[in-house]
Amino acid sequence: MNETVPTHNIGGYVPMIDGPEKVSGRAKYTADFISPGMLAGRIYRSPYSHGEILEVDVADAFKLPGVVSIVTGADCDKTFGVLPIARSEHPLARDRVRYRGEPVAAVAAVDDATARNAIRRIRMKVRELPAYYTSHAAIAPDAVALHEKKPGNIERDVLFELGNVESGFADADLVREGTYNCAEVCQNQMEMHAAVAEFDAVRNRMTVYASTQVPYYVHLMLSQILDMEMSRIRVVKPHVGGGFGCRTEALNVELIAALLARKSGGTVRLMVNREETFITHRGRPETDIRLKIGMTKSGRITAVECECYQRGGAHSGYGVVTILYSGSMLYAIYDLQNVKYLGKRVLTNTPPCGAFRGHGTVDIRFAFEGLLDQMAGELGIDPFTVRRANYLKAPTFTANDLMVNSYGLPECLDWVEKESGWKTRKGKMPKGKGLGMACSHYISGASKPVNWTGEPHATVKIKLDFDGSIIVLSGAADIGQGSSTILVQTVAEVLGLDMGRVRVITGDSDVVPKDNGSYSSRVTFMVGNAAIDAAQNLKALLIKAAARKLDARPEDIECLGEVYRAGAQDKGATFEEVVTEALKDSGTITVTGNYSTIPESHGGKKYRGAAIGGTMGYSYSAQVVEVSVDEDTGVVTVDKVWVAHDCGKALNRLTVEGQVQGSVWMGMGQAMSEEAAYHDGLMVTANMLDYRVPTIQDSPPIETHIVESNDPHGPFGAKEAGEGSLAAFLPALTNAVADATGIRFNDLPMTPDRVFETIEKHRRTQSRGNGARADSNGGT
Amino acid sequence: MDALPDFQLLRPASLGDVLKARTEYPDARLLGGGTDLMVNIRRGIVAPTALIDMKNVTELRAIKADAKGIEVGASVTLTELAEHPEVGKYYPVVAQAAAHIAGPTHRNMGTVGGNICLDTRCIYYNQSEWWRSANNHCLKTTGTICHVAPKSRGVCFATFSGDLAPAFLTLGAEVDIIGAAGLRTVPLNSIYIGFARQDTPVTETFGDGKYYLSLRPGEFVTAVRAKNISGLRSAYDKIRIRRSIEYPVAGVAVALRREGDNLVDLRVAFTGTNPRPVLLTGTERLCGRTFDERALKGLEELVRDQVMSMKTTFTPGHYRRRVAGVLARRLVTRLFNS
Repeated sequence: MNETVPTHNIGGYVPMIDGPEKVSGRAKYTADFISPGMLAGRIYRSPYSHGEILEVDVADAFKLPGVVSIVTGADCDKTFGVLPIARSEHPLARDRVRYRGEPVAAVAAVDDATARNAIRRIRMKVRELPAYYTSHAAIAPDAVALHEKKPGNIERDVLFELGNVESGFADADLVREGTYNCAEVCQNQMEMHAAVAEFDAVRNRMTVYASTQVPYYVHLMLSQILDMEMSRIRVVKPHVGGGFGCRTEALNVELIAALLARKSGGTVRLMVNREETFITHRGRPETDIRLKIGMTKSGRITAVECECYQRGGAHSGYGVVTILYSGSMLYAIYDLQNVKYLGKRVLTNTPPCGAFRGHGTVDIRFAFEGLLDQMAGELGIDPFTVRRANYLKAPTFTANDLMVNSYGLPECLDWVEKESGWKTRKGKMPKGKGLGMACSHYISGASKPVNWTGEPHATVKIKLDFDGSIIVLSGAADIGQGSSTILVQTVAEVLGLDMGRVRVITGDSDVVPKDNGSYSSRVTFMVGNAAIDAAQNLKALLIKAAARKLDARPEDIECLGEVYRAGAQDKGATFEEVVTEALKDSGTITVTGNYSTIPESHGGKKYRGAAIGGTMGYSYSAQVVEVSVDEDTGVVTVDKVWVAHDCGKALNRLTVEGQVQGSVWMGMGQAMSEEAAYHDGLMVTANMLDYRVPTIQDSPPIETHIVESNDPHGPFGAKEAGEGSLAAFLPALTNAVADATGIRFNDLPMTPDRVFETIEKHRRTQSRGNGARADSNGGT
Repeated sequence: MDALPDFQLLRPASLGDVLKARTEYPDARLLGGGTDLMVNIRRGIVAPTALIDMKNVTELRAIKADAKGIEVGASVTLTELAEHPEVGKYYPVVAQAAAHIAGPTHRNMGTVGGNICLDTRCIYYNQSEWWRSANNHCLKTTGTICHVAPKSRGVCFATFSGDLAPAFLTLGAEVDIIGAAGLRTVPLNSIYIGFARQDTPVTETFGDGKYYLSLRPGEFVTAVRAKNISGLRSAYDKIRIRRSIEYPVAGVAVALRREGDNLVDLRVAFTGTNPRPVLLTGTERLCGRTFDERALKGLEELVRDQVMSMKTTFTPGHYRRRVAGVLARRLVTRLFNS
């Protein structure tokens, strides 16, 4: 009898497959693709915030020996942008500059020093226009429009009311309103933006290596900007050092590199520095929120009214989607029936914002969970009780028609409540210490992609040849999150094989199937499902071949991974023998796997923008944060974090835990220290010193727990794991600080100086005999 | 930040060779750990034609510390200083200050000389070439205006942020300075001339954030030295927003002696606030009696009068000044009662 059993990896702690290259430094990133004769590119950026361009004088720069080509707005009249409805941006500004740092011209030269010197010789003249650095200033009645087609500097306004908010508030025992402000934040991924563009002038072909999350969107935009057929373009995505959303759209960097390469008739490497990476931006916009919630004595939410202003920067980017998400994702975590949402995406003379991890949901969640906590306190009920009073009951559709099939939030809450000792410790902490909790959620990929073509959402190919190795071909962009590892895991699991048999090829448009890219936590869910489909198709072929070889019926064949057999007594055939047999039919085998979301998940047509927020599965997270507050200095220390995340099923516990802890860190950065600040539109904090990302020295102990609600549509039951735990940290922290100090901080980041100032204000208020609670924004 | 521009890298093995190199390349900069200088070079703030690497100058790499005194060469790394057992035993304020500078990797590279002479900092100065140019430059570089105080009449307010200076100032340290004219030894406090007063013009002895050291052209610090004072209790503390990659928001060194119930000697020095490290004057008025609420008030007044923080960092000046006072109060109270 054969003892062979299928090999399993799903649910284990599986090291990432690209680990050896990365830790040894052998992994090649975009900037590493150096070739002989390659030119160095560099961008000249506008020193002005807002102005009509009168002249861009590059003559002096062009005279510099070693300068090969210079491009300006005159070289390209096309626009780009990720949303087909909002392509307002030129790779190099034409007619007008709208923010300090906007690319105006670019140089290709024999080396970096020459390119830098050439940039110093470029001059521009503008007729300056008034510049607006806040949402408030940009929407003032007399403000000059940044874009002619966007009067009043409103990129998009959203208004919907579902249910009846007025009667909802009438049913409430307590109605409270708060105002909140979250500073603009940037992703600050490890790898700075880079692109290498190779133009083959003889064949009129363009190859671009780009540090991107979305090679396909880059491909589309290159075609549009270069006015070149897509078939003449090849996009390669090498290893990428993170993204967190700032690379989920084609950036000016890769487009400018291509323009330079074509004009130079050669290869150009354009590496931008850290400051330029900050200015290229696509971070989370500064957000002002006014939120009003009605609640019964038992904690049931009766109505929600939310107003949200986002300072979007000078161009749309993903802006329309962000402001819509902020409204639609009020839902799908609690049972809300009466909701009114007013959202305004504002155009300002600051760098364009984009789709930062937790896209559109984080700042709103901060406000929401903070206000829930405050109201629970006023009603004298436990914050956990409030959440429990508002659970959804899956499967269900929310009032705004979002499909919820699995809902592990209750288990998340139970775990953090128990492990943090909440019931025995909350309210009994010594002075200056506090506990706070909050929840959050996120989508597992948007059910409708921004560029809807009618194709499947994901396609994976598998190639199997004489050597018996399984080659997975996918366009999914591994940017460090581990998508290639998941592809290997899922295919190996279906076939019952050791992961060592499976290799993955990604990131080259000449070779791999198209993929929409790594954003909105879509890859594990969608590409994972496509990979399972492909592996099952391959397995069916192998079973057919095994049946032929073993002279049995396919339905009697048992696949044990390395052995296929017909019944337990059969010695069977080895995997290699089965492969050899299978190849007799067709030679090299390629199979395809597809995945498409189901129409029910697309959202309805109940209101404008209702299709946003729809997904096949929502992840859920609950957190408890323990803090110490030094009231004399304003220094807040996070002592411990308990986080539970419902990811449906952890395909790889190692990477899920890493993603959840990374989300906590990123939330900690936004909550405590990170802020993109400007001096007259010049980003002051565009460096790793002043833009304060928490370091490992600042990391608290994080207890991580994975909840597995087994989503019926997820690959092996899996859902999102990379974003959903970010948002809960922010309100859990401020709720903990409120517990420690009695003061609510509604403005982020709560840096020591802000905490200090708020505590001082609170003390002054109290010493005047006024016992009212002071908020960081002065409200109550 | 950009790739490094071209420069000559000189690696002398003796002080004599360093002096020769300085004569040969008058605009050369001394390279210790490079944790500050290299950043400034990559930002185009300074563009020396030569760097003089001090690593091989073994004369500057010694730590001597015992119950009699402490002497530290300028090229000693911050990690070496922080981890030296005798420094920790007899001069805790120095060890603590060194141990809290930036992050572990910075401390492995950064040197004592570099930290003592650390360039002053400002959000309008520590920016890229493009940024500074778009902001019309500033007094500390080639501009004509201080963006921190536009009406400052030629006075720069960039902030001194070294952590070791206040620690050594509380010990009454002196420094050896060498130059073409030879070696001289002066009180550490005398090299910091960043007084930056809007009503007083900047001179060779009365400087600001730009002219913050009294060193003459070509001179550099080779060692810092202090005598042990019997019974002196000392400590260092600082506020920072992160525990790494961070200059002090405010740092305070305190050294004091107590006899019976009386405070008999009090030294308090600050960093991260003014264009110089500030050794409080007038502390003798708080001595000769116990340290109580009245003394605390007196200390607060001294801080308020002498510590001046402007908007040179992203963290507001008034907070830095207030919190410096809080730290001083805490440290003095703790040491007095320990």
